[in-house]
Amino acid sequence: MEKPLKEIFRQAFDLEHIDDSMSIENVPGWDSMAHVGLIMALQRQFHVSITSAQAIELTSVAQIKEFLQQKGVT
Amino acid sequence: MNIDDLIQNARDAGTWLAQRHAARKITEIYTAGAETPRHKIKVAFLSSFTIEFLVDYVIVAAAEQGIWLQPYLAPYQQFNQEILDPKSGLYNFTPELTFLFTEWQSLTTQTSQTMPHHSPDKMIAPLVSLTKTFHNHSASPLILNTFIAAPSWPLHIMPDEKTEFLRRANRCLWETFTADPQTQICDLDSLAAYGGYRQAFSPEMKHLAQNPFSETFMTLLAKKIMSHIRACLGQISKCLVLDCDHTLWGGIIGEDGLDGIQLGPDVPGREFVDFQQTILELYHQGVILALNSKNNDHDVMEVLHKHPHMVLRENNFAALQINWNEKPANMLRIADELNIGLDSLVFLDDNPSERAMMRQMRPEICTLELPDNPAFFSRTLRETNLFAHAYLTTEDRQRGSIYAAQRQRQQLKTSVASLEEFLKSLEMVVTIRRAQSTDLKRAVQLIRRTNQFNLTTRRYNEAEVKSMLTADDWRVYVLDLQDKFGDNGAVGLALVARENERWRIDTFLMSCRVIGRTVEDALVDRILQDAAAENIPSVQGEYLPSTKNSLVADFWEKMNFNARKTGANQPTWFFDVTQFHPKTFPWLKILNR
Repeated sequence: MEKPLKEIFRQAFDLEHIDDSMSIENVPGWDSMAHVGLIMALQRQFHVSITSAQAIELTSVAQIKEFLQQKGVT
Repeated sequence: MNIDDLIQNARDAGTWLAQRHAARKITEIYTAGAETPRHKIKVAFLSSFTIEFLVDYVIVAAAEQGIWLQPYLAPYQQFNQEILDPKSGLYNFTPELTFLFTEWQSLTTQTSQTMPHHSPDKMIAPLVSLTKTFHNHSASPLILNTFIAAPSWPLHIMPDEKTEFLRRANRCLWETFTADPQTQICDLDSLAAYGGYRQAFSPEMKHLAQNPFSETFMTLLAKKIMSHIRACLGQISKCLVLDCDHTLWGGIIGEDGLDGIQLGPDVPGREFVDFQQTILELYHQGVILALNSKNNDHDVMEVLHKHPHMVLRENNFAALQINWNEKPANMLRIADELNIGLDSLVFLDDNPSERAMMRQMRPEICTLELPDNPAFFSRTLRETNLFAHAYLTTEDRQRGSIYAAQRQRQQLKTSVASLEEFLKSLEMVVTIRRAQSTDLKRAVQLIRRTNQFNLTTRRYNEAEVKSMLTADDWRVYVLDLQDKFGDNGAVGLALVARENERWRIDTFLMSCRVIGRTVEDALVDRILQDAAAENIPSVQGEYLPSTKNSLVADFWEKMNFNARKTGANQPTWFFDVTQFHPKTFPWLKILNR
């Protein structure tokens, strides 16, 4: 999952690298609009469904990775 | 990464996130001047929902056509305040085009249950009043949307009252604004129906971000919005240039012969009849048609004249380049013959290598991508926004035949000895008259579209021209031209500012199809005559160079105006009316009204 996830973050925030500590608190540009785009892109890329309740929790790279692993994405 | 790559990446990814990324980078590139757009336009977006998503799609779609779109986004749900407050950010931005997107829920306190008992007039009343206020404060055209009338219970049996109500409201919108030149309708409902209502909405985006539309639908809607933007900029393609073999018919005429090509009511061949009918629809909307085909001329002419199932005939085509030359070279001849820019041409060819060559050699021409299966040719053409007009004037509807008649004139020109003899043989009748309100649309169209024979290229909008028609200090002249091949319609326009002791010819233009016919002399003569009649001593002419109007750089000199140069500016030109003697034009019959 690492490579497509990196690409999504590159498009969203112009980041060349990602690490688990990155979150809505410390990434410039990760605002509510970008968050919606991120959720939509994750669903399309990894073929998973994300509810709004889950969406508001997925606010860091670590949480996103954990969520995707739970959904069986490798 | 350049703009083309950014567009391609965004398209491949298919997400709004990728569109946003591309939109930001494109804006950076244009702002830094790293790439030069062909056009720039300031567009305001007002809406009852979160519009940011959609605007990113539009910025990318605009860049695809070489247009730098500079957007203004009104704060969320602030469309009422923005329109009502004359000092709002909206008016401060001075948009060239404004979109107001509303959902029905934002206009009424009625609910789905009570609405059907309400009146559609009442529901759109706030829109009508906002539109009026907007036009009082801004010269920008305003685009309103129809309401999406998707079935609320698609599988139920009882009539769907809410949907029916919204359809009635949509008809009300059309009826209310048809006659308003500054207001257009963006038919969101029919667009959503075309792509499929179910696909148009994204329940997730709606609940997460107050944006009703799906990423798929926003891609389509951005193209529709581009139709309005292109129309506003006057960037509407003028001519469709067609290949013959495997495009207008199946097979190869040079090998299969008249009886062997596939065209007619049977299979295979029906898809080509259908495609030709689609092309004929465009012709009747004023699109000029031309052929660019590698063939023996007489083979293709035989099909045009004799094939029983051809829909398009010789007299539908304004230019015929049927030879063994390379197609990009033929395109130059077509543009030259029709007197239009290469960027007004659209090229359509089934052969991918011809398309690739055209894109490479003539990037300014729009080369349409065609699917392999000719059954889809019609759809491809129907889904482009290249020929989308905001309205059609009488001249538009006749344009195809006007240009085809022009081809016959050219044939005549090569058969007569002198220019004067040629001009006489055309039996031209020129009518020069003061413009009426019924001329408004055509006048604005000439102002927007004319590039070559346009002395100042001042692009006035409809509201501005409208006020000139009735203003005391302006005179608007229109020139109509008829000849023995047909009526060319209104082909010349002059906007004359009456300033104290002199008249200033602010705008002077002639449609490219009458260049070389000397009718412009008659229009200048008429202005001078009118000035003389009012004892105005001096008439001033202006020339502002553009990238396209070098043709008329020496126009005023030719008209016997005298140059007066101040500093490094372009000279202004003056005609001493006290010395004026009307000219005679032995080859023109002139009617002054």
